[in-house]
Amino acid sequence: MKWATRAGCHVDRTACAWLIRRFIDPEPTFVFVANPDEVPPDATPFDMRGVDLSHHGGDCSFETFLERYELDDPVLGEIARIVHEADLGDERYEAPEAPGLDALIRGLGLLAGDPELLELTDRLFDGLYELRRRARAGDRL
Amino acid sequence: MAWILLAYRLPSEPSTPRITLWRRLRRLGALQIVDGLVALPESSRAREQLEWLADEVLEAGGEATIWLSQTTAPSHDRALAERMAQAVAEEYRGVTRAARDALEQGEGSVRRLRRLRRELQRIRARDHFPPPERAEAEEAVARLVQLMAAAP
Repeated sequence: MKWATRAGCHVDRTACAWLIRRFIDPEPTFVFVANPDEVPPDATPFDMRGVDLSHHGGDCSFETFLERYELDDPVLGEIARIVHEADLGDERYEAPEAPGLDALIRGLGLLAGDPELLELTDRLFDGLYELRRRARAGDRL
Repeated sequence: MAWILLAYRLPSEPSTPRITLWRRLRRLGALQIVDGLVALPESSRAREQLEWLADEVLEAGGEATIWLSQTTAPSHDRALAERMAQAVAEEYRGVTRAARDALEQGEGSVRRLRRLRRELQRIRARDHFPPPERAEAEEAVARLVQLMAAAP
């Protein structure tokens, strides 16, 4: 499938792209656009103004994805809280990892263009997922 | 310099979206220029945050437009920046006072310190034109940390 989002990705969009690849569409193609008018007709837009897979009622796009695709994995729920705080910082959740994640992705974004950034952040979110999954399973880490 | 503006109008009832919007704008450190018009120094982040707020205004049945703008004189920029700096300066002074009170009483609790640090972080997040009060607040909190580190 083809997915479209705004160029210049940061935490919410990189997290959504990771979620898409890992849980929704194993072979996604991402298109990065400057504004909603440039979204190709065959692409599903996300994290853009006026589209469904975006911010709603104070939720960030990652949270909207979990809801729309009925992903109820509690580990994803934990990641959603971190992404929410890193993106919006409205203190809806206690997420001490959020400022760190925000800084890391912001920094990577200065070094890499969007396609390369997504490769890097895919690993970052894989690691975060693994850490939280094992912590939930009661592993001593 | 460039500013990003959000011009909006919300229905007067219900009041919840109005309050939510006000709270979010305050968190971002947006400057109210006139009723229904707020400004932030232009950045991709500021733009994005205001765009989400604009969408929420629309979802609540209001009207919202985002503008990229410039004032016609540098002195206007300075005046706006000064107003924004004054607003956060007052908040920094509050942190400084609280940290100094704790120092004078010779007691710093971990909880109190954590609260002050979090408060500092919140203010920094909406501080677009750092006033001198910022360094003072940071220093007062740092001294409190020293006091606690020295405590038996």
